Amino acid sequence: MSDRVLSAALPGLPQLLSRRWGTGGMALLTWLGMVSILVSRRDGVLSALAGPWEEKLAVATVVVGLVASWAWSWRDLRRARHEHLAGFSQWDLAVRAFSKNRTAVAGLITIIGLYLIALVTPLIAPHAPNVQYDLVGQRFLPPGGEFPLGTDHFARDILSRLLYGARISLTIGFVAVGISVTIGTLVGAIAGYFGGIVDGALMRLVDMVISFPRLVLLITVIAAFDASIFLIVAVLGLTLWPGTARIVRGEVLSLREREFVQAADALGYPKRRIIFRHLVPNVLAPVIVAATLGIGNTIVLEAGLSYLGLGVQPPTASWGQMVASGKDNLLDAWWLSTFPGLAIVFTVLSFNLVGDGLRDALDPKLRT
Amino acid sequence: MGRYVLRRLAGAVPLVVGIATLIFFLVHLAPGSPVDLIIGPGVTREFRTQMIETYGWDLPLPVQYVKWLSAMLTGDFGYSFSQTRPVRDVLLGYLPNTVVLSLAALTVAFFFGIVLGTVQAIRQYSLLDSGLSVVLLFFYSMPSFWLALMLILTMSLTLGWFPVSGTVSTDHEFLGLGARIVDRARHLALPTLSLALVLTAGIARYMRASMLEVVRQDYVRTAHAKGLPERVVVFKHALRNALIPVVTLVGLYLPFLFSGTVFIETIFAWPGMGRAIVNAIGQRDYPLVMAGSFFFAMMVVLANLLADILYAVVDPRIRYE
Amino acid sequence: MTSHSSRTVARFAVVLVLSAVSTACGGGGGGPRPVPDVAFCQEVMPKVEAYVARARAENPTPDDPRYGGTAVVGTIGEMADGMNVAVSSDYSARQHQQFVNLMTLIDYDESVAPRPYLAESWEVAEDNSSVTFHLRRDVYWHDGEQTDAHDVAFTYTTVTNPETAFPNAAFWNHYVEGEAGVEIIDDFTVRIGMEPHSEFLDPFSSVAILPEHLLGDVPSAELREHPYGMQCPVGNGPFVFWSHSPQERWVFEANPGFPQALGGRPFLDRYVYRIVPDPTTLLAELLTQNIDVYVTPPPDQAQRIIDDPNVDLRRFPFRNYVMVGWNARRPQLADARVRRAITMGTDRESIVQALLQGYGTVADGSVPPFHWAYDPDVEGLSYDPEGARALLEEAGWADRDGDGVREDANGDLLSISIKYNTGNQQRQDIAEIMQAQLSEVGIDVVPQVVDWATLLQQINTPDLRDFDGVVIAWVAEFRLDDLDLFHSERIDQPFAWSGTRNPEMDRLLVELGRTVDRSEARSLWSEYQKVLIEEQPYTFFYFPDRLDGVSRRLQGVEMDARGEWVNVKDWYLDPASR
Repeated sequence: MSDRVLSAALPGLPQLLSRRWGTGGMALLTWLGMVSILVSRRDGVLSALAGPWEEKLAVATVVVGLVASWAWSWRDLRRARHEHLAGFSQWDLAVRAFSKNRTAVAGLITIIGLYLIALVTPLIAPHAPNVQYDLVGQRFLPPGGEFPLGTDHFARDILSRLLYGARISLTIGFVAVGISVTIGTLVGAIAGYFGGIVDGALMRLVDMVISFPRLVLLITVIAAFDASIFLIVAVLGLTLWPGTARIVRGEVLSLREREFVQAADALGYPKRRIIFRHLVPNVLAPVIVAATLGIGNTIVLEAGLSYLGLGVQPPTASWGQMVASGKDNLLDAWWLSTFPGLAIVFTVLSFNLVGDGLRDALDPKLRT
Repeated sequence: MGRYVLRRLAGAVPLVVGIATLIFFLVHLAPGSPVDLIIGPGVTREFRTQMIETYGWDLPLPVQYVKWLSAMLTGDFGYSFSQTRPVRDVLLGYLPNTVVLSLAALTVAFFFGIVLGTVQAIRQYSLLDSGLSVVLLFFYSMPSFWLALMLILTMSLTLGWFPVSGTVSTDHEFLGLGARIVDRARHLALPTLSLALVLTAGIARYMRASMLEVVRQDYVRTAHAKGLPERVVVFKHALRNALIPVVTLVGLYLPFLFSGTVFIETIFAWPGMGRAIVNAIGQRDYPLVMAGSFFFAMMVVLANLLADILYAVVDPRIRYE
Repeated sequence: MTSHSSRTVARFAVVLVLSAVSTACGGGGGGPRPVPDVAFCQEVMPKVEAYVARARAENPTPDDPRYGGTAVVGTIGEMADGMNVAVSSDYSARQHQQFVNLMTLIDYDESVAPRPYLAESWEVAEDNSSVTFHLRRDVYWHDGEQTDAHDVAFTYTTVTNPETAFPNAAFWNHYVEGEAGVEIIDDFTVRIGMEPHSEFLDPFSSVAILPEHLLGDVPSAELREHPYGMQCPVGNGPFVFWSHSPQERWVFEANPGFPQALGGRPFLDRYVYRIVPDPTTLLAELLTQNIDVYVTPPPDQAQRIIDDPNVDLRRFPFRNYVMVGWNARRPQLADARVRRAITMGTDRESIVQALLQGYGTVADGSVPPFHWAYDPDVEGLSYDPEGARALLEEAGWADRDGDGVREDANGDLLSISIKYNTGNQQRQDIAEIMQAQLSEVGIDVVPQVVDWATLLQQINTPDLRDFDGVVIAWVAEFRLDDLDLFHSERIDQPFAWSGTRNPEMDRLLVELGRTVDRSEARSLWSEYQKVLIEEQPYTFFYFPDRLDGVSRRLQGVEMDARGEWVNVKDWYLDPASR
């Protein structure tokens, strides 16, 4: 009972007391973050309610974050109490294995934190991301004072651009991987299930796309059409799917021989139903792993494209573009590319840690 | 076995033609013609048009495609007008640089990846395991051009351990044979390191997983049960078998090496194929872009084939159907 | 079996790496030059080898500590088309043709006055209809042949032949083109025909002479693909070509047989042109003393170069300007008032301060401030957002719906896309700053990046002209000639980007081309500058100063508006540093 009181006062505290750092820390930090935004940006929050949709979204995020941290902490306590009554599903086992992996949990917390920050950015960014302050007097200001992370060559606030850039970079990664996972899963499932000529043809296509130098593809396509965020996301998504397709096909090939699929076949279920209801859900584990790793790769790749001048176009800030445009100043204004660079490193690192953790957790062979 | 290899080779033929086709149409997707890069004021529109005709850039794409493909089949890669040499000579000029860099990077990466991955597997979930994971992933997560610049700033500019860029020093021709090899190796160090650091994380991760799987196999348990020392079990029984899947990574990493080398070659002023192709796209030097892309695609196809065959050779459980 | 195989793989890989390392460095220590496997080179390079050996024996190096050593110049890009004078337009390549490997008929002194070089004298016909050059008799091609009038005639007919597609065809606007335009009077005297016009010597200071005995048989249309330019150029200048590794470096060695009267052999033993594509890497190379000259660092790197005790920053005004070209064929840009308003709404002065760190001058026209034709009293448009708003109102553009962007009476938005090419930070910056500043006066600017080749096609194709505004740079010759840019009769030619029609401008452009006398031309130029400001076919941004980082150990370096390499033969390494 006292747990519930504690949790009502400060969500996550009881978990922390019972030394479950991950669960407790996440709930507590989210709660503290949201409360501090509410307190420190009271006026901002009020005016944001009347602002454009992204500001409303930010306020909604704050509210949902507050409620969710309470609710989650509460539910977690109840589950903890009833745990011994129910058996363990495969999923529970995976969650347990995952939460044993400290680095992976740290990665997951970082990612959730990043997405939360990205959502509430309009409330917390100290400046507008594209405002050019005094071009002569305020460019290349070192970190500190009015501009906590300094200013860039247009006298824009780097912290604010970093915050707004998070949204672009995270979205790019998310959407591109979403596209590639969808296509990859479909192609892989169809190829694996139907086999024969369909399989042969689709897999040759996969081989072709894999063998083709991706950078050549990206450069020519981006040269052919006007570079825009949509194009970049689409191209990335449309080139990354073959890896997923291969994984899914492999899984489906072995699933096809399993009793439940054979039974569904024997019952004469339509093929569409078999693919979507029986096969796809069962291959999701490796796909999720591939997707987590893919998001990280995409963010790095976008930075590479920016180096070649092909990434997200200014003035929109993306981390990759910030690193690339600041790299010529590494020797005289290190803060231009170092902060976005570190942001990329830690984000991608987190995604990879989570991906690794998931892989270990979802693969029973690797569990101890 | 021989029949298996032949069958795989035959299966690669349509793939190769498919790739060539894809490359051709994709490369011609980019608008703009080489003409505008060479003319200047005073050149009339009539002359501009005439030049486009002379080079055959106005022919319908299918016609150009047939011409190109039939030339390719006879081994004629065409003429690179941005480099004013036959494409074959251009590729042969850049090839040694790319091969040296890629092989050096692969060697270093596989060596460290295998060693570190094994260590991680043996000490699963230890502080060392997660520490190594984080450190390796840290480098893996960096945009490669940024990592390369950081290496230059620390290793060359601040510490002065390695030359900044290039393949050789200016006075290379005047050095003795021994000094020349040292000179080459010193120039190779940083680009290799930048490429290898990124690859190592993947290999180590793979090696760790593979090792963990093997360690749980019965024969390893038996070895343990027999009371064999840990060292013997790991190196004699487990490592050998854990290496099998890692071999196939060579094929998977070749395409990565290509896109990775473009940045590394640019930052380190390394005259390799990746940079050449990217430059050629900018110049609309179609023959060079197509031949270069085709060459890389072939490398990947061959490497995959080789990996499959190697896999079949080293793993007796795989039958050649 | 398993372990055996994998060990073999590893060993195999190591062997391959080692063998590739050792094969790639074949050749003797500083021995004979590497000869490309091309028939032309195989034939010609041994002759060059022999010539250099002979000349070295005949002209022992003077006893002076300044002789010797290797200097390295680092730049971002390859010299496109190399020493092939007939087809190259690349700035570095042309500098090397003029000052390193080949020779021009005349060159310019510090005050840009013509002085003898390959031609020891010249005279102009009474009626200005021809110029006669008398050539030096002590200049030899690097394969031993003498340079004479036939080479000059060959070069002239080649570059004026449309089949060659000489990139700066505008050079020959006032000359008699082709064979009819050149007459060989004797082996060392050659006369070139022209119509009277201003600055007629200028092309001969920038177009170097090619060897007739090597290229005379090559059809003009095939010159572009000849191995001469990139694989084995044979020049007659102060440096002999030694080797070229594409995208890596060019190596030249001192020409021991360079005429004593022109200073004899250069001080440097070897001169290396290195290609390092990344600016940060280049800066690191300069700061670690691996290169002696860093050609045109971006202005943001200037301070770091100044702060380093071992290198100096050279700065000189140059002939190029950066501008935004407007497509007046577009309805929203057809009115000169709108174009003027755009310029007035852009704070160019602070852009020069910010983007160029002050290393540049605001441009109000195409005449560089150091040029004799420049009139400092012509007043350009200054930053005046109020004035810009008023002009826009006057032209019928007002913000009718209160969204911050102006519309015309039909409700069409005053929205302009500004294109720039991929990978050019400064041009991207300009588009970005204009977007921010012009939104203040109610103009919506959309920066748009386009791949360079695509961009050129979009702006150069007469029937396409798919752009509103384009950020681009233009390098002027010492003889200014904007005919191809602004004359209304050339409106359908590739370089008439703006497509403006202005009778006053037409008249001035034609007259300027024909005026031989400078003082007479000066007042015309002044008028021309005023018309340009009124018409604003471009928003001229700035003349960037040319910057170069030069190591202190490299001495005797002169750099000015003529270029970086103007006195490369007088460069020498501080003897104490070697």
